[in-house]
Amino acid sequence: MSTTIAPPAPPAGRKRSVARKRVAKASHVGFVAALPFLAPALAAYLVFVIGPMVESVRLSFFEWSGFQGAPQEFVGLKNYVRIFTQDPVFWTALGNTVIWVILSLVIPVALGLVLALALNRPLFGRNAFRSLFYIPGVLAPIAIANMWRWMYNPNFGVGVTLAEMFNAPWLAEIQWLGDRNLALYSIFAAFVWQIAGTNMVLFLAGLQSVATEHVEAAKLDGANAWQVFRNVTLPALRPVTVVVVVLTIINSIKVFDLIVGMTGGGPAQSTQVLALWSFTQSFGNHEYGMGNAIATVLLVITLIIVVPYMVWTARQEKHS
Amino acid sequence: MSLSTVPPAVVDAAMPAPRRRTRFGTARRDYITIGLWLALAISVLIWSIPIIFMVFTSLKSEADIFGTPAFVPPWSPEWGNYVEALDRGNLLGAGANSLIIAVFKVPIGLLISAAAAFALSRLRFKRQRLLMGVIAMGAMVPIQVAIAPLFQVINGLDLLSTHVGVILPYIAFGLPYQTFILYGFFRSIPHELDESARMDGAGNWRLFLQIILPLSKPALAALFILDFVATWNEYSIALALLQSQDSWTIPLAIQGFQSQFTSAYGPLNAFTIMSVFPVLIVYLLFQRYFVEGAFAGAVKG
Repeated sequence: MSTTIAPPAPPAGRKRSVARKRVAKASHVGFVAALPFLAPALAAYLVFVIGPMVESVRLSFFEWSGFQGAPQEFVGLKNYVRIFTQDPVFWTALGNTVIWVILSLVIPVALGLVLALALNRPLFGRNAFRSLFYIPGVLAPIAIANMWRWMYNPNFGVGVTLAEMFNAPWLAEIQWLGDRNLALYSIFAAFVWQIAGTNMVLFLAGLQSVATEHVEAAKLDGANAWQVFRNVTLPALRPVTVVVVVLTIINSIKVFDLIVGMTGGGPAQSTQVLALWSFTQSFGNHEYGMGNAIATVLLVITLIIVVPYMVWTARQEKHS
Repeated sequence: MSLSTVPPAVVDAAMPAPRRRTRFGTARRDYITIGLWLALAISVLIWSIPIIFMVFTSLKSEADIFGTPAFVPPWSPEWGNYVEALDRGNLLGAGANSLIIAVFKVPIGLLISAAAAFALSRLRFKRQRLLMGVIAMGAMVPIQVAIAPLFQVINGLDLLSTHVGVILPYIAFGLPYQTFILYGFFRSIPHELDESARMDGAGNWRLFLQIILPLSKPALAALFILDFVATWNEYSIALALLQSQDSWTIPLAIQGFQSQFTSAYGPLNAFTIMSVFPVLIVYLLFQRYFVEGAFAGAVKG
């Protein structure tokens, strides 16, 4: 408030009443004045995001092939009954989505944190290290899928080379993407490769908020490296950890490109996830009702995770 | 990157000189640093395997791919793979589509998001926070939830396989995140600026265009770069909405090449490399914005 342009501060009481009057007046005119700024965003958001989401819920109660002009028949909860009781792929897809989210919260997050802690130290060439770890994060997931598919190639891929190098023929026999018990985890490895560097950058950003004075003070008090990390660094990383966790959940719920590019959901639908199965039902099998019922399940799962987080953030903001 | 080229002294010189008490302490610290450095160097090498493997393959002739181990470098590079990839896949056409889409989508989307963020953060109206919450939620819902009805909307507008037909949904799906980040950034700009500008007679538009936007250049630049990369790489919306091969973007072209020429490993890898080139260049040129973008998200998010 101490800019030279600002008028001398009026007595406190008067100032408050002026402010209150301004707020009261503003809330009347407010929305009309704000509308020109909001209109393009709201229009696009309503037509292309909210509208289709609502439509997706509506269509989940209908049977429809998705073709223009084909009749839409109201079937109530039939699509849900079908996906829950007669569609074994749905449960595989749900299970895989859950596995994917849980693994993502552990492996790439821990890896990102370790890399960030290591590369937060002054080291020779650390910028080059950071870049190299981060680069997979800017590549198109579909390109990554192709790179990894090639690496996993059973005849000419890395497995074969490693088998020759270490004289371990069993390495050459692993069907990275062809074994239905292994394929999901092979794809997940590519996901770790893609995402760990992004987590590292986020954690590095968070580490900049760790006050060096606190670290120094803790050291002077005789704290060892672990104690400093546990009591100074980790608490300071809490906000960024929340961001990483939320981003990880969002990104792993919608994993799609990598799976399409590497297995297309196979072998024998063993790598299906909800996002892809919904897409396949709608566009591949022309079961719009089923596809949208799966999409609705996905939406509900997302909201169950997201809404408490939003409420929590809003509360935090109010407190600060 | 060989280990012997980095003598301990170099590593040491990069360290800020902390006060060292005993000779023992100094030596131990150096060993830890060197050990850490070695571990990182090995990790980076492992991390680079997929890229090295791809580059090697893209430069090998078919006979070499089938006949030599994967990690043997292509001693006589076969540049023909690149020519063949350009020839067979529609890389330039797809590149042009991707570029046109990004060139329109990114600035327009950013401007619309900034306007909304301005209204939400600097103007006052009822239920402002709730509205921000509803918009922000859009950033968290997977695109696939809405993709089948979205197809119907675009089909209804007769915009399938057109640039406009993907630009519009791209803008809409990019809005929530950008608005959310800019909302946080705008709020950190002191409100006194608004008051003095208004005292000078500035209206909302002048405040937005001449004060808030110029002050937000760092955040805008970071979002611009991040959004460019995200748009370039987007796959699932494009897969649903771009049906004709002429309208394909780069990710669709990669996938198309892959399914059409499954066993042409050399050209396929050459194709993938060329397709990620623009993004790599953007990344190398604007590296610091990626960090700033992450920073904005991490601090304000």
